[in-house]
Amino acid sequence: MSLYRWRGLSSNRTFVGLDNYKKLAADHLFWQCVKNNLWLLVVGGTALIALGLLLAHGMQTRGALTRFLRSIYLFPQVVSLVVVAILWMFLYNPTHGLVPDLIRRIGIQPPAEGFLGSSTLALPSVCAAFVWYALGFYVMLFSAGIHQIPIEVSEAAELDGATGPRRFFGITWPLLWAVRRVACVYVVINVMNVFALVYLMTRGGPDRHTDTMLTYLYEQAFVDRQFGYAASLAVVNLVIALLLSAVVMVLLRRNPTAART
Amino acid sequence: MKSFFAAAAILCSLAQTGCGGSAKTDLEVAAFKGGYGIDFYEQAAKEFEQKHPNLKIKVWGNPRVWSQLEPRLVAGDPPDLMFPGWGMDHWALVEEGQILQLDDALNGKPFEGNGSWRDTFDPALLALGKSDGKQWVLPYYYNVYGWWYDPGVFQKNGWTPPKTFDELLALCGKIKAKGIAPITFQGQYPYYMLDGMLLPWALSIGGIEAVRDAQNLVPGAWKSDAMLQAAKMIDRLNKEGDFQKGAVALSHTESQSEFLNGKAAMIPCGTWLESEMKNNMPPGAKVRFFLTPVVKGGKGDPSAVLIGIEPWMVPKDAKHPDAAIDFFKYMTSLTKAKQFVREKGTLTAIKGSDSESLPETLAEPARCVRESKTVWSVEYRNWYKDFDKEIQNALTAMLNNEITPEQFCERAEKKAEEVRNDPNIKKHKLGG
Repeated sequence: MSLYRWRGLSSNRTFVGLDNYKKLAADHLFWQCVKNNLWLLVVGGTALIALGLLLAHGMQTRGALTRFLRSIYLFPQVVSLVVVAILWMFLYNPTHGLVPDLIRRIGIQPPAEGFLGSSTLALPSVCAAFVWYALGFYVMLFSAGIHQIPIEVSEAAELDGATGPRRFFGITWPLLWAVRRVACVYVVINVMNVFALVYLMTRGGPDRHTDTMLTYLYEQAFVDRQFGYAASLAVVNLVIALLLSAVVMVLLRRNPTAART
Repeated sequence: MKSFFAAAAILCSLAQTGCGGSAKTDLEVAAFKGGYGIDFYEQAAKEFEQKHPNLKIKVWGNPRVWSQLEPRLVAGDPPDLMFPGWGMDHWALVEEGQILQLDDALNGKPFEGNGSWRDTFDPALLALGKSDGKQWVLPYYYNVYGWWYDPGVFQKNGWTPPKTFDELLALCGKIKAKGIAPITFQGQYPYYMLDGMLLPWALSIGGIEAVRDAQNLVPGAWKSDAMLQAAKMIDRLNKEGDFQKGAVALSHTESQSEFLNGKAAMIPCGTWLESEMKNNMPPGAKVRFFLTPVVKGGKGDPSAVLIGIEPWMVPKDAKHPDAAIDFFKYMTSLTKAKQFVREKGTLTAIKGSDSESLPETLAEPARCVRESKTVWSVEYRNWYKDFDKEIQNALTAMLNNEITPEQFCERAEKKAEEVRNDPNIKKHKLGG
């Protein structure tokens, strides 16, 4: 389909060869979307992995807080994305939202145009909602990974007096390499698939500052009725996701524990 | 790809037309189910069936009916009559040769009365369904665009709806003094601002030509003096703090709730406002209409009213186009149109149908249309979606103080030029 010009309203299609791809390469809006996706990947991805690991590691203890966290960390995952979007729009609402209110209380003036209306803060704000939504899955993934660390290793570490950060960097981090790799690939796929949250919260605005490849694709297909062009966008999106996943696999291919023996 | 189309066609026809066979003519009508529902069309179908015992009419619809119609149009198996709603690009359908030309039908007899069917429509509204001098789609009900206020709030504070931009500026000062935001808007959908401020103001300053040229992509029209002044007026309100803080990020329902809850005194919107928000109306809240304040001394007609039609059409591949046209003639008869106005509380394109008692909310928009010498509409949005998106984005950038009014006009003009020079985009002209 990406080699055709097709409006999706009749069976009239024109073969245009690689024209759609040529147009894509020259389309600065598309590159802005790629940039936004990469930003989400770097910032959101790092936050997801770091927070996921931290929470999973912290939840190994047996306190009341742990029990509480265990019972709620998957909550955002079971809520519909539409509800998540509406919830966060409420939180960011410039007149009665919790976020601007908190910011004001600590003495900082929140942006007059609202968090989701500000060209600099809209993407980080959407990113925060995305991280909140996706985090539970990574906590679960890392928790499962931590539970798989052989009990002898943990006990030996404890006997040697390794606790807290020492234990984290000496035991948890290296022994979780396989889970980490899976998590990174998941992050890539997650971020390249970001659509509903952004579309519902900002529709790619203000002035395309939060447009992602998929919101742009949606607009091209279902608003502008350029299905051929949208299909070429989909193909490129897939290729980028595959490439990034491959890069992650290659970067994290060495088993650090195997290297030590 | 072919097999995909065929499969989609079979699935859709199984799902939506049923598999019964009878000697009767089965007429299928698909309608967008918005705030006004589809019960009126269903009732009309029942009545029409009684008049034509050999006809069986199936009316169906939902709020996203266009997405179900698309695959059926592609497969060549559309319904006989359709009202696909705002999600369907009807001009693209015309360009793709999917719509039946209706001029012959319009020259025929109407359901009731003398003359031609054409004569029963308001000519200005009928003209909105024309392209290349041919009639493709027909109006039924229509919307009027303007500004809204709550009469209770205004009365309590001794305010009156502003007629001119100067009055607006003075009023905004008074409203701010009360700690209320003068104006809020649907920031996530900047076209409300285009239709509520930029384009009416450009018309008010430069006359109808300013807006007509802009829609016809005449070189220089988007950076004409009228357009620039109109952009500067929005910028001025913005800089003076007359817009609700953060409105740029608000969705249509959020901003409309802010307005209804008294956080802002005025909002630009179409006549659907009340029906869209009826479940969120705080007790005692009322909404009343007024025309976008005009610029004193401008070239434009101060009575100009912006309207938008909701088009009905007969697909070219319809199996029973004549029966479909006959049924639509029945729906557009004065008797049925008056009944629609009465039951649904909205305006229709049928001459004389607004003589019924209108709901209070609609009395003012109806009066404005009746007394207007210039009824106009925004059509370029339906023709050039990509272009419109760029203008909306540029407007948001201006509201965020990232670009000046001059740069806004430059951006719009640049995109207009791009569209003008793109041979793959079919060009349209206002007024068919």
